[in-house]
Amino acid sequence: MEKVLEVKGLSKQYKKGVYASQGVTFHVNKGEIFALIGPNGAGKTTTIRMIATLLKATEGDAVVAGHSILTEPDKVRENITYLPDEAGAYKNMKGIDYLKFMAGIYAKDAKSAAEYVERAKEICGLGDRLNDKIGGYSRGMARKLLIARAIMPQPALAIFDEPTSGLDIINALDVRRMIKDLAAKTGMSFLLSSHNMLEIEYVSDRVGIIAKGHVLEVGEPKELIEKYEARNLEEVFERVVKQQ
Amino acid sequence: MLSPSTIATMIITVMVMIMAGNAMSGAVDEAEEESSAITICNQDDTEFTKQVLKFLETPAGGEKNDVKYVTLDSDDYTKELKDKDIKNVVIIPAGFSEKISNSEQATIKYVARMTSLSTMSNVSTGSTNAMNLINAAVKSAFYSSKVQSGALADKEVAMLESPVKVEETTVVADNSQSISPSLIIAATQMSNMFLPIMVFVLVLYSSQMILNAVATEKIDKTLETLLSAPVSRLSVLTAKMLAAGIVAGINAIVYMFGMNRMTSSVSNLTSSSVDNLDEVLKNLGLTLSVGDYVLVGVQMFLTILITLSISLVLGALAKDMKSTQSYILPVMVMAMIPYMLSMFVDITTLTPALKYAVYAIPFTHTFMATQNVMFGNTTLYWAGLAYQLVLLILCMGFAVRVFTSDKIFTMTLSFGKKKHKSAEE
Repeated sequence: MEKVLEVKGLSKQYKKGVYASQGVTFHVNKGEIFALIGPNGAGKTTTIRMIATLLKATEGDAVVAGHSILTEPDKVRENITYLPDEAGAYKNMKGIDYLKFMAGIYAKDAKSAAEYVERAKEICGLGDRLNDKIGGYSRGMARKLLIARAIMPQPALAIFDEPTSGLDIINALDVRRMIKDLAAKTGMSFLLSSHNMLEIEYVSDRVGIIAKGHVLEVGEPKELIEKYEARNLEEVFERVVKQQ
Repeated sequence: MLSPSTIATMIITVMVMIMAGNAMSGAVDEAEEESSAITICNQDDTEFTKQVLKFLETPAGGEKNDVKYVTLDSDDYTKELKDKDIKNVVIIPAGFSEKISNSEQATIKYVARMTSLSTMSNVSTGSTNAMNLINAAVKSAFYSSKVQSGALADKEVAMLESPVKVEETTVVADNSQSISPSLIIAATQMSNMFLPIMVFVLVLYSSQMILNAVATEKIDKTLETLLSAPVSRLSVLTAKMLAAGIVAGINAIVYMFGMNRMTSSVSNLTSSSVDNLDEVLKNLGLTLSVGDYVLVGVQMFLTILITLSISLVLGALAKDMKSTQSYILPVMVMAMIPYMLSMFVDITTLTPALKYAVYAIPFTHTFMATQNVMFGNTTLYWAGLAYQLVLLILCMGFAVRVFTSDKIFTMTLSFGKKKHKSAEE
């Protein structure tokens, strides 16, 4: 299977001997939803930020659509979109203007930019509210707008950090369905991170369990549940961590 | 509400006030000392003037005056005062005694060399004190001679009402004009206050703007979104600084317009009392030419760029919007010290330690720009400009380094708490 992302021994050391993530290795196939799961402080966000070229890796490498994050970060950024945990948007901008602004950054020409905006309008489903300022949006509306922004250029890899964090049940469900539908329809790959393991069990094709900066186990949720004779991913996580 | 950063803000503000107050009090003492001293150039070498000067040194029933004597070799006051480092001089011209003995009002000349437009540095540039003292001395000398010779004639009594009149000359750099320095101060007071206020507001405004822009982007994580997009970090940085610079510039123009309207209405009041005041100010070099505006503008531009680079780094330290407000403090202090000092004292006359400490603040040179240009302090201007350029390169370099590295996401500043960095930043 074609790999969209290959992470090999990726580490981030802040101070001598203090690793935020260490030797992280996994891959994401084309059209796959892969999730990094672990508690707060496990190293998910640091790993994701390195892949998104925001932080520099101190060891190892990650290759996105054939481009190394170390040597070709510009090319990597052309092939990804990143949605940070609890990210906001420019509150004084109208939703539609925000989409146009971001489309202008990703698109190579005006025609593509217009296509991106149309796609985003369809994905977010905000209708006329796109003409309102983002500052007046609810959390759920803002999240849908940001997801639409991340999806509209149809990148090789969309990276979402805690995509449903802070959302109510209904909005969280909407977002999960949105990601699943988009992966199925567009063939895009997703790298998600979450500490909500039940959410990930529902939405992802494969998961990587991460704790204290190390990836401890990688596999399909069903496969892992069977392997560890657990009822759900939460129990799998508990058993994997205890084994270490 | 009363966080450590708020307390730090208050303490530092008070410290700045105290420091500025001390510097100003030193300047006031010095000015008072200068104002009590009278420098005399006696070109009328007669027994009567000797007697006048004796009474000037020791007035009847009064405290002794500090009288210094100088000799001026020519009428080129600009050169003479500059070469001999004299701030002001009272010239008793030849024929002075003759006029008095003829019971006519005699004329003395008062020449003042202005080196700054700041309030305190011009405390001593008043001819009134010198004229009063000399009038009293002339009266004493005259009475003394008349006591020996007999009664006073009516003409002499009339003359004694006001025996001396003064002709005032003001010297600025290499120019001199027949005008009272106090009129010059009155005419330039508003414009003298105008630039420091404008620079101060401009510095704070541009600092607040870029600091909030970066802090908001960091806290809302829109910066992460932007920097993970296919756009170079340098172009994002440049765009931010350019936008803040343009808005700050527009603000400066609007502010300038408002202040200009205000000062021009006040200046009109002063001009109405003196003929050709504008011409006199121009001849003294106290109006800015297009070239001067360019020189002042260059320093203002550098100041904005330095402010933006420093504030960008400060904005990158933000953890939350509340703490961000206190991060402007270093910029505010750096602007407040030269702002207050430049309005009240001539910074060049401060004690060497204090002077160089104030010179080390990059904004000082912009606050002094107008004065340096007007008073021909070219070395000081260019040295300040060079210093600002070097500092700008360093600040810009640091800002670029922060913006293009992990630091833009990992840097934080904690007051009173040890920083803990978790893996899940």
